[in-house]
Amino acid sequence: MGAPRTRIEPPTPEQAAFLERAMTQYGKATYNFAYRLTGNESDARDLAQDAFIRVYKAWRSFQPGTSFLSWIYRIVTNLYRDELRRRKGRFQEEIPEDNAPQEFGGQRPLAVTPIEDYVERQLSEPLSLALAQLSSEQRQVVLLADIEEYSYQEIAEIMGCSIGTVRSRLHRARALLRRLVERAQKES
Amino acid sequence: MTDHLSSELLIDYLRRELPPQDDALVHVHLDTCTACRREYEVEASLTEALRAAAAREEVEFPSLVAARVWEEIRNAKPSPLARIAALWRPLVALPVAAALVFAVFLVGPMSHSGPKIAASYYLEEHAAQQAQNPLTERGPAASHFIETSALDSDTSTELADEADYGVAATGVIDAVR
Repeated sequence: MGAPRTRIEPPTPEQAAFLERAMTQYGKATYNFAYRLTGNESDARDLAQDAFIRVYKAWRSFQPGTSFLSWIYRIVTNLYRDELRRRKGRFQEEIPEDNAPQEFGGQRPLAVTPIEDYVERQLSEPLSLALAQLSSEQRQVVLLADIEEYSYQEIAEIMGCSIGTVRSRLHRARALLRRLVERAQKES
Repeated sequence: MTDHLSSELLIDYLRRELPPQDDALVHVHLDTCTACRREYEVEASLTEALRAAAAREEVEFPSLVAARVWEEIRNAKPSPLARIAALWRPLVALPVAAALVFAVFLVGPMSHSGPKIAASYYLEEHAAQQAQNPLTERGPAASHFIETSALDSDTSTELADEADYGVAATGVIDAVR
């Protein structure tokens, strides 16, 4: 992704075997996660590549018995965040995070958001485009919570934030997604 | 929970993130409140939609990425520290190797490195001592030692042929000299 790279040492046989296994077993999941984060193939390839280089360098810090996927998702998340800072921008146009979530306390409207219709008809707008309209933090938390099915605690560990932050980001992100689905429904 | 449930609470319930007591309260409420039940189903549908879309859009890991990773590693140059370490290795290894060789050189003759040399040397020295000491036992024993040494040395073989007490002893001394 163009980020400055630290020097790499030639591999030991164990290190090479570790990397080979990591890419064979978790390459697909890692790449898909990176693709959903970045929203495009080129950045996803770069992000996945950087992640596996990081795995290669830091392979001794991985603790056997823990989730490798959680570990590499944390790496991808950190690299993505660093890259966003480096670019001082975003990979794609996003709606600011301060979009007010829908509140349903008290007199809530009997909203009938046609999500089922959205699923059944498979609207032309792919998930990557819908997710692209979230902030990077919101997108990360939706991916980890709703697609990868991690708990709040695990997401907090991966993203390096509090559980409360995870919750609030997820709630806002989902509220925004619902609005996007409604809009797409109306436009179609 | 007299009114409707918030979407936040429903999401947490959907994700099984509520404490047991709250979870039970939400469960009971959803059984009786149609509006909240409907809202819950919408949230659940959103999750299902996200997962279904993710499954549809799932792609394989590009082999290009793996190839680029390996290429980057293959082209890796050692860090300055590693290079210094590599340079330092012969600087240390050479003196250590030289010291070992020298130690072997010094210690070698003291050890029983070769029975041929040691046997003939001790035997000849013994024979010389015998010759210098007339009170020492003579006879078959001395002859036996010389014959034994003949197994190890051609010179000793010649001496063994001449073995005749004093004559043989003189010969041994000459040979040693």
